[in-house]
Amino acid sequence: MITRRQFGRVAGGALAALASRRPVGAAAPRDIEMRGTARGERVWFAPLAIAVAPGAMLRFVNHDKGNSHTATTYHPAIFDRPRRIPSGAAPWDSDFLLPGASFEVTLSVPGVYDYYCIPHEHAGMVGRIVVGRPGDPGWEGPAGDAGDLPEAALKAFPRVAEILAKGRIMPEDLA
Amino acid sequence: MFHRMIIAALGATLFMAAPASAHDEEALRNAPPAAPYAKVSDLVALPDFLPGLGMLYVDPATLPAGPFLGYDRDGKLAATIYMTPIEALESGTSFDDLGVGSHNVSAVDIYYNAGHPGVDKPHAHVVLLHGEDARARLAE
Ligand SMILES: [Cu+2]
Repeated sequence: MITRRQFGRVAGGALAALASRRPVGAAAPRDIEMRGTARGERVWFAPLAIAVAPGAMLRFVNHDKGNSHTATTYHPAIFDRPRRIPSGAAPWDSDFLLPGASFEVTLSVPGVYDYYCIPHEHAGMVGRIVVGRPGDPGWEGPAGDAGDLPEAALKAFPRVAEILAKGRIMPEDLA
Repeated sequence: MFHRMIIAALGATLFMAAPASAHDEEALRNAPPAAPYAKVSDLVALPDFLPGLGMLYVDPATLPAGPFLGYDRDGKLAATIYMTPIEALESGTSFDDLGVGSHNVSAVDIYYNAGHPGVDKPHAHVVLLHGEDARARLAE
């Protein structure tokens, strides 16, 4: 697993440099946007859920001018949260992304990855990434246990079958 | 002896607290306000200027409610903001006798916020706008 973080405008040059170092033929990252209303009444990841092939690169980008967000996997190694990524996958945490900043992660182990935004988990700002398909070597489906997740987070995760069927799912009122 | 120490300590506390009072309009008119006010973007991961709220300063001891002082891009005080967690209000917590950055209040906005670094539970923003042009000065 490879992760990279970029700090918006300040790192424009560095971003270009990194982009040019991407292996020839590697696919462009799939963006997951962090968004919110101007006054912060609502916050969300767009898409809320996405299905990708093993080895896909995903890029979280903060498009919210008035807030910071994180993309943080549920894992005991990070704030002692329940594991909701495949057991063979390494956990990741973008840390706080200021407006314009981004974070990239490459996911190789097939299965379901649930993640949250640290300051907005209680507002239901969570997302789900499905890598590969059931039956892929090492595949691990969604966590069955609610653990210590707030209700707002638990009810936000779309079903895996629906994610695989649609490819990507936007938050309900934005669809 | 003890009395004198207590009085001395009390005096020191008052002396330290005096310039920090959120009722001292002159001292708070221009950014940066003196300690114990601290820049919010130095305390938590937030941009220096938040559209609608401005450049925020807060005395960390008063978190989460504040007052937060919102300055425009010229460093002029434009708003006093309070952030009160919904959960705390529901469970009976009240936030009383909070300071104000300026006694000139032209309008008050109250709205819901899902959370942000520093106050990361859903809460209400209560925004006291200082002057007819305050909203425009904080817009962006
Ligand atoms: Cu967030």
